[in-house]
Amino acid sequence: MRVKNLGSRPAPASLLQLFGNVMRGQRPSTTVERRQIPYWQELGWRRNGNIYEGAYQTPYAAFQGWIEQELSGRASFYLYQPSDEIRRHSHWTCFQHRGNDWYLIHMAKEPRDVGSGIITIERLITEAYQQ
Amino acid sequence: MKKLSVVVAGTGQIRDIEIQPGTTAGDVLHQLTLQDYLLSKGPNEPFFAAAESIYDKVKDGEKIFASTKAEVGIAVCA
Repeated sequence: MRVKNLGSRPAPASLLQLFGNVMRGQRPSTTVERRQIPYWQELGWRRNGNIYEGAYQTPYAAFQGWIEQELSGRASFYLYQPSDEIRRHSHWTCFQHRGNDWYLIHMAKEPRDVGSGIITIERLITEAYQQ
Repeated sequence: MKKLSVVVAGTGQIRDIEIQPGTTAGDVLHQLTLQDYLLSKGPNEPFFAAAESIYDKVKDGEKIFASTKAEVGIAVCA
């Protein structure tokens, strides 16, 4: 007898994993849930009661800001230390100094939500840097 | 056909839609009953005009934003 059966032993873990993957095929994909959160939250703004704090962000620059929302829903938007580019923008006269380098931004047409206001101001900042 | 995800700025709600060639921003907003809103590809991109066809300006699967109309300004500078 040329072959002698010496019994069996478990295969190494690496081999089991390799064959297991081949037998099972590709594992089912995992669905990543989309976060449905307001724009201000997606941008990292924080809310404390009726006050929001965060930054207006553009590819050119970011500016510290805060927003006060009244019970009626009306919001006042503030921006800290506007740059020379913003000061040269045609809407600079809409920025009202409120002390300590904080500026209140007047809205001719007020947004219906805080996120839309942030988008509007970010768009204005972008315009200021592109002009 | 292209699939788009429209993020409503105020709530963060995502509305999935499919558009055909020639679909305008106004068509999308009307379909989603967001008439007071404007569509854009993001805060640093211009708004689409209501009559503007958006099909060629968006990618399949892209996320776009709907935000309410707002304008910086006061009587003397608007």
